[in-house]
Amino acid sequence: MASVLSLQGVSKWFGDVKAVDRLSLEIEEGSVFTLLGPSGCGKTTTLRMIAGLEWPDEGEIVLKDRTIVSVERGIFVNPEKRNMGMVFQSYAIWPHMTVFKNVAYPLQLRRHSQREIREKVLRALELVGLAGFEDRPAPNLSGGQQQRVAIARALVYEPEVLLLDEPLSNLDAKLREQMRLDLKLLQLRLGITVVYVTHDQLEALSLSDEVVVMNHGQVEQYGSARELYDEASTPFVRDFVGKTVLLKGRLRTVEGTELEVALSDIPDAVFHCPNPGMSGLDVGQDVFLSVRPEDVEVGDDLDGRQGNLLQGVVETALYVGERSECQIRVGQQSILLYLPRHQVVRPQQAVSVHLPRQAVKLWPA
Amino acid sequence: MTATATMGRARLLGGRLVIRNLWFTLLLGLVGFLVITPLFLLLLNSFDVGIPGKEAAYGLDAWIRGYETPGIERAIYNTFSLAITRSLIATVVGIFIAWLLARTDIPFKGGFEFLFWISYFLPALPVALGWILLLDPKFGLINEWLVSLPFIDEAPFDIYSYWGIIWVHLTATTIGIRVMLLTPAFRNLDAALEESSRIAGAGTMQTLVRIIVPIMMPPILIATILGLIRSLEAFEIELILGVPIGLDVFSTKIYEFVVNEPPDYSSAAALGSFFLVVLLILVGLQQYYLRGKEYTTVTGRGFSARPIPLGLWKWPAFALVLIIVLTVTAIPTGFVFVGTFMQLFGYFHIADPWTLDNWRQVLADPILIRSFWNTLKLGIGSALVGVLFCCLIAYVVVKTRYAGKELLDFLSWLPYSIPGILLGLALIWTFLLIHQVVPIYGTMLALIIAMALSRLPLGVQVIKAFLLQIGNELEESSRVCGGSWFYTFRRVLFPLLSPCLIVVGLLIFITAARDIGTVVLLATGKTRTLSLLMLDYTVGAELERATVVACMIVLMVVVGAVLARALGGQFSIRS
Repeated sequence: MASVLSLQGVSKWFGDVKAVDRLSLEIEEGSVFTLLGPSGCGKTTTLRMIAGLEWPDEGEIVLKDRTIVSVERGIFVNPEKRNMGMVFQSYAIWPHMTVFKNVAYPLQLRRHSQREIREKVLRALELVGLAGFEDRPAPNLSGGQQQRVAIARALVYEPEVLLLDEPLSNLDAKLREQMRLDLKLLQLRLGITVVYVTHDQLEALSLSDEVVVMNHGQVEQYGSARELYDEASTPFVRDFVGKTVLLKGRLRTVEGTELEVALSDIPDAVFHCPNPGMSGLDVGQDVFLSVRPEDVEVGDDLDGRQGNLLQGVVETALYVGERSECQIRVGQQSILLYLPRHQVVRPQQAVSVHLPRQAVKLWPA
Repeated sequence: MTATATMGRARLLGGRLVIRNLWFTLLLGLVGFLVITPLFLLLLNSFDVGIPGKEAAYGLDAWIRGYETPGIERAIYNTFSLAITRSLIATVVGIFIAWLLARTDIPFKGGFEFLFWISYFLPALPVALGWILLLDPKFGLINEWLVSLPFIDEAPFDIYSYWGIIWVHLTATTIGIRVMLLTPAFRNLDAALEESSRIAGAGTMQTLVRIIVPIMMPPILIATILGLIRSLEAFEIELILGVPIGLDVFSTKIYEFVVNEPPDYSSAAALGSFFLVVLLILVGLQQYYLRGKEYTTVTGRGFSARPIPLGLWKWPAFALVLIIVLTVTAIPTGFVFVGTFMQLFGYFHIADPWTLDNWRQVLADPILIRSFWNTLKLGIGSALVGVLFCCLIAYVVVKTRYAGKELLDFLSWLPYSIPGILLGLALIWTFLLIHQVVPIYGTMLALIIAMALSRLPLGVQVIKAFLLQIGNELEESSRVCGGSWFYTFRRVLFPLLSPCLIVVGLLIFITAARDIGTVVLLATGKTRTLSLLMLDYTVGAELERATVVACMIVLMVVVGAVLARALGGQFSIRS
């Protein structure tokens, strides 16, 4: 598939802080491309540079075959000339206009006829499920409705790219779930290219075709949702995407595809895991052993398991409905694990903890 | 790394952004010129000892002359003593009224707040005239009534005195400004703070004194400093009530230097420079205190906290506030109105005290007609010029990343520390300096510029606060979906901003209609306004005519204030 938007070596400074650091991205036509990262990682700045709301300090941005920004060549296309659509975090619904006027605004700018404007606006409102709301004054809408108006306004003129800046972060949990689904369905239906910015890994993983994890203005890793979750390539991605249990240890032996690790805190605790062929791990080196909490088994009697066992004591067990979240003390450390909803444990109870060997990964300490 | 960044940016900036910055820089230059030049010339001229019309010579003579004038120490002492005394009284009264209006179930609170708003805008001179009718030692109605009582032999009150001046100031704007600034601030206070004190066992008054007032100290201090700065520049009340009994303040001394024959501009400048330094220090302190504080906009909207029931005290409190509010509004203005129908101002016992002649004569007077038009021209002109500049400055300061925006913000604040009469004096030299190029000295435009300049701090503050509430994303979303900067301004920003701009315009109009201090030294016979005509009549002891003009000014001001309030007038205070 062809790349519709490409960033080449784009940087942005705010004072002495480099918010975006020589970032290069290729965004494919018709895909949902997500910039994921903690606040201050440069993801929103990147989106705003694509929109033309920030001036990059170096690099180039190409939309289809048109260079819209080139610092070297002194090119900067104003935001209004880029034909993009954008939904802002605050939705930015103009409070002095009705729903209809908000959505009609971009069409009026493009000098469509009255009849055409009416048709397109009504169709866009129907698309986002707001048919019949056109005469409402904008301030009389709920958060979810405002968000739908913002999407209708951004889509009504069929922009080349739709930019979404944390569009779900101001909605309550239930509505967020609903809108996530609706957004995905809408995108599949229209086949539009979407650049999505979020700090919420759930949104990123569920909506995207491709995710870029950003940190300190640079790309940490990119790939599909599954690749990021299962095969984090940096400690930052490992800790930022999903929850991770970390145990400190030392690499004892390497035998073919099998690694053996002794935990530092707990005498006689030896773990085995497959060797992924990761370079730079030597026998005798300090390592971290990582595992996703949902992969860990907890129970009174796990003797049937082959090794990779730990003895622990339950500190707290918080029942949150779909599961229990338990703090379990193993050695000096307290780790957070998820238990299935029917498994009941009590504080102070002694339990066995099993880390399946396929689920364990090793990182240099 | 930073060096490359700057270079990269500079390259990209080539072209459009530089042109936009050029406009901003022109604005900065113009504001800078209009604010800094007068101050510089004021200082420079205070050292000018040459004979007028001859080569300038510099020395300390004017400073020595100025500060050796008989009674000058007394005048400086009076200025501060009067300002501080009434500031303290007004703050205590203001806190109490603001708390009653904002936090308790006192009846008619909305109406009271509105009346205090009106009282803030009432011009000082008409208020003074009203009180003269009541408290003059010879014919004051209250005095006469008290003397008629068996156990009082001589008039107990004298409006022409230290306490008389304080009384008139308190009833003119000094209490009004406290109530206006503090009531919304009290209203926004979290009710839980109060309620937890009540639950801990404190009574209503204990809670007010031990919890509310300490928590509200920042806005209270700000309102006090603000009031104090305004008090230091008072002029006309002292001129009417103080000068006849030899009680001078610094502004009347400056006026004296300028209107004497021959005028001594240098000594006036020397005296003014000293006060400017004092005020700059006060404003600096205020700004320092506000530095880094969260900016909250205080609007007229209510806060949903349940009001404190006053119980038995409800109606006594109502009566007290009613008396205060009538004292600061209806009583002085009502008596000014009565005064317009008197043969001889203040003399109720002569054979035939009532007449319509005053209205007839004044309304037929071509000078009045001209002054009326001048006031309208000044009001509308300065409102338009002021709104335009306030809006531009506020926009650049809030919405752009222009490098000089901090400086622009500071410059727009500076006139805040310049008393009206000093601004007028300093602008005389500025206009004379540019007279060869831009001959506006002696024209209405000179007055318009002076008025707009004096209202710049207020206007910029109000619009800035409003712009801060309009998120950048409202503009940005219009840009992204295809609107140019100008189209966005016209369709998005301007409609949202227009009520605020109208309010600022009305506030400038009101100030222009009532102003005396700023324009008194700049106006000529041709550009004299109603306020100056009223001052002339008052100084010339034609009090009957003065009251007629006063009524017209009060009417204009009240209409303006009501309109501004109806359109959602708001004042911001950082707390």
